[in-house]
Amino acid sequence: MALNRKIAYIDLSTGKIEIKPIPIEIRRKFLGGRGLDAYLLYNHTKKGIDPLGPENVLLVSGGLLTATLASATARTHVMAKSPLGGMIGSANMGGFFAPELAWAGFHHLVIKGKAEKPVYLWIHNGKIEIRDARNIWGKTVTETQWAIREELGDEEIKSMVIGPAGENLVRFANVMTGIKNSGGRTGMGAVMGSKNLKAIAVRGTMDIKIAHPKEALEYNKRFIDQITSAKVNQTQGTLGTPFIWGATNSWGGIRCRNFQYNQQLYCDEIEPEAIDEVCTQTVGPYHMASCFGCQVHCRAKYRIPSGPYKGVYDEGPEYTSQGAFCGEPDCRSIETLLVGNHLVNQFGLDNLETGSLIAWAMELYELGILTDKETEGLELRFGNDEALLEMVKRIAFRKGWLGDTLAEGGLIASERIGKNSFDYLIQVKGVSNLHSDERATPALALNVATASRGSDHLRSRPAIDLYHLPEPVLRKIYSTPVPYDGPLSSEHTEYVGKPWQVFWQENCYMAVDCLGICKYHTVFLGATLPNFEDWPKVIYYNTGLEFTPRELWDIAERCNMIERLFNLREGLKREDPYRGDMLNHRYFDEPTRRGAPDVVGRVIDREKFRKMIDEFYSYKGLDENGVPKPETLKRLGLENEPSHLL
Amino acid sequence: MEIRGKVLTVYPEKCTGCRLCELVCSVYHDGVSNAMRSRIRIVKWESEGVYVPMICQQCQDAPCMIVCPVKAISRDEELNRVMVNHDICIGCRSCVAICPFGAMGFNVIDRKNFKCDLCDGDPQCVRFCEVKAVDYVDAERISLDKKRAAAGKITAAQRQAIALELESR
Amino acid sequence: MAEEKEGLTTAEVLRKTRTYGQVRCHNPSCLGRLQPEPGADRVKCPVCGMEFRVTWIKSGFPRIRGPVWDVNVKIAEEAFQRKMKEEKKDGPQ
Ligand code: SF4
Ligand SMILES: [Zn+2]
Repeated sequence: MALNRKIAYIDLSTGKIEIKPIPIEIRRKFLGGRGLDAYLLYNHTKKGIDPLGPENVLLVSGGLLTATLASATARTHVMAKSPLGGMIGSANMGGFFAPELAWAGFHHLVIKGKAEKPVYLWIHNGKIEIRDARNIWGKTVTETQWAIREELGDEEIKSMVIGPAGENLVRFANVMTGIKNSGGRTGMGAVMGSKNLKAIAVRGTMDIKIAHPKEALEYNKRFIDQITSAKVNQTQGTLGTPFIWGATNSWGGIRCRNFQYNQQLYCDEIEPEAIDEVCTQTVGPYHMASCFGCQVHCRAKYRIPSGPYKGVYDEGPEYTSQGAFCGEPDCRSIETLLVGNHLVNQFGLDNLETGSLIAWAMELYELGILTDKETEGLELRFGNDEALLEMVKRIAFRKGWLGDTLAEGGLIASERIGKNSFDYLIQVKGVSNLHSDERATPALALNVATASRGSDHLRSRPAIDLYHLPEPVLRKIYSTPVPYDGPLSSEHTEYVGKPWQVFWQENCYMAVDCLGICKYHTVFLGATLPNFEDWPKVIYYNTGLEFTPRELWDIAERCNMIERLFNLREGLKREDPYRGDMLNHRYFDEPTRRGAPDVVGRVIDREKFRKMIDEFYSYKGLDENGVPKPETLKRLGLENEPSHLL
Repeated sequence: MEIRGKVLTVYPEKCTGCRLCELVCSVYHDGVSNAMRSRIRIVKWESEGVYVPMICQQCQDAPCMIVCPVKAISRDEELNRVMVNHDICIGCRSCVAICPFGAMGFNVIDRKNFKCDLCDGDPQCVRFCEVKAVDYVDAERISLDKKRAAAGKITAAQRQAIALELESR
Repeated sequence: MAEEKEGLTTAEVLRKTRTYGQVRCHNPSCLGRLQPEPGADRVKCPVCGMEFRVTWIKSGFPRIRGPVWDVNVKIAEEAFQRKMKEEKKDGPQ
């Protein structure tokens, strides 16, 4: 049964391992995955700890539905206090790790302390072993995984690992599994590295009993039809996420030259169809791959077609890599894109953070705030492909003053660089923004500003806002499972109605993250995809647990509130430019210059933005400072946190 | 028209490696999620992005059938499949050892061998595989399809050779 | 358990508006339906004037590949000049 998967507490300092069941009352309050991780993080860490110290706690989990028939239950969630911004650190990745962990008997790992020397965890059918990692330390992401398989003599082992970037405590190092499945943002790889933990290897062959197998199969079939009939998923399944980048850049929603422009011009070489052609030429007509159980198959396979890396196999590139290696630094070569993507995958670096910080440094260099002295002669100009790739390497290995400085993340780096460098840093809560430019889309700007793990597009983005859906369709989506009769606007440049959409999406994505499902299987890019109304059946057929849509909503709200409590404890202040629900001033001051006629000349209106935040806070039950009101905590059953139930 | 046997066939190049087939197979047959129990298994060369679904070939002269000392394995001509009778099976695992495709599994939890039974004519792996990397089609049609594909490759190669020759002249 | 919802699902509502052989203009304020000539490699939006390069997934199924840069960049520049002038007149909005 999914419900008998265990939680394991692993203390790397003492070597003590404790395995416990997860009580059903806890499930009913936090489900699993990200929600339960948030509860554990809040309960097992103290205020103000060093994210890279042994007091930080690393949480690794699958969701409630991991490895069951719920259409794409592949996601692994990883959480800790973030070394990047000091707020919630949270990463979510696809692949095959979480299902294997569930087959090995576990849903949650709580990893504490710090090993004396490099180790890795070996988890196999209910057993957990701490093993010497001397032989794999220093290896790249894939080398590490293959070496573990060889050492343990089992080709089916799935590992979550760090690359050199994690070992070198780059504050935005990823955890990785497979070729390119990345637990990115907020530096969970650095937390692993700080614990001397190189990898977690799992292998499981234990049954997960499905409560109602026949119904689960039939319902899953319906689900899959629903998911694969969405046009967005069909495009996703042929061109992968680059198609989003292409379409967004086309109208002017992509950052270029850090934040100077909102569109990259004349970039035909890196548009989705061009990438697709390389994949077709180097891999074949069928070059899309899937995560566990998923019929969307959005991941492309490619070999680098030319240059010093010619012939090297990798997967992707996702649209974040297009942002990192094309739009933001304004480079337009497909080779740079494919090589850059390969380097970050092998080093275990967050592509998005890496690209954003380099683009920032490029702007500083062109402004003279950084000089040849700091770059050690590297001409760090926009459009300089070699300099871009060189900086990727310097960051991963903390080479040179600038490599080491950028490896500290934007906040610390801006302090070290000094002058007015911070003004140019496009970040929220210490986390660099996605490659998207939200000046023409207030709803998306609100999402970025208020996302719990810092600037982020996967926590509450109402992406369908750009489709100009008819109001009744919007209402149908956004007024269940809780009634909403306020305004809703199909207009993407509007401010009204958006706070509710962001609030709804925040709960929707939290629910998905608790269940362990991929966001392409809910209302993210496709308006027709499953959400609160559909999940109770999936949960019931697979686990036997009964929930109403409303109960799932309440759980999601509760889990989001726990994340909020954590951030508040660590110093979140509403308008603090460093750790607030606040955007870089350029959003308000510099109008967009490119793209569709209606997108041009846009800034976010300060006053209207403030009002949106007020309204968003009121839906969440926060006061005007963003702090939960006592009655809100009571309503969500959080008045006694930390409650140390698990 | 005579009824022709249908066969389960694999197009490895189309497989996206999602392993949904493994999941539905184990849920359908055993009511549990456990890839280890699946009759279809995806073998992967991850570092090259190659995924190959491996299934029982339902051989005509099945080695498992021949090797079984108690004759527990037989052919069901109607569905064109090889079946194990667990009332007769003594669990010696000779069949597991001899199968050249590794298609006869042995389940250590129930201590029983298991193999693909084509889900009695509605293979679930085929039903769920959206990209049709596994398909259930008339045996006749497959061999025709494969002939055509092979012939296509040969003519393409010939055309290329001719083009090269023309170029080098 | 939640009962089946009455009426049409969101998917069904939206499916009714699905069209084939057409693409939507990439301009988010326009989203006009464009019908490229069969086999054409460009299409111009009659509503907003933006122009796009077209690719054909198969006959009858066009897709926008990207902007016709020269045309759309010019449109953007003009829009920017116009808006900046307006802003000077009315002061910042
Ligand atoms: S369901 Fe199809 S695509 Fe997925 S692993 Fe099986 S054969 Fe491959
Ligand atoms: Zn238009």
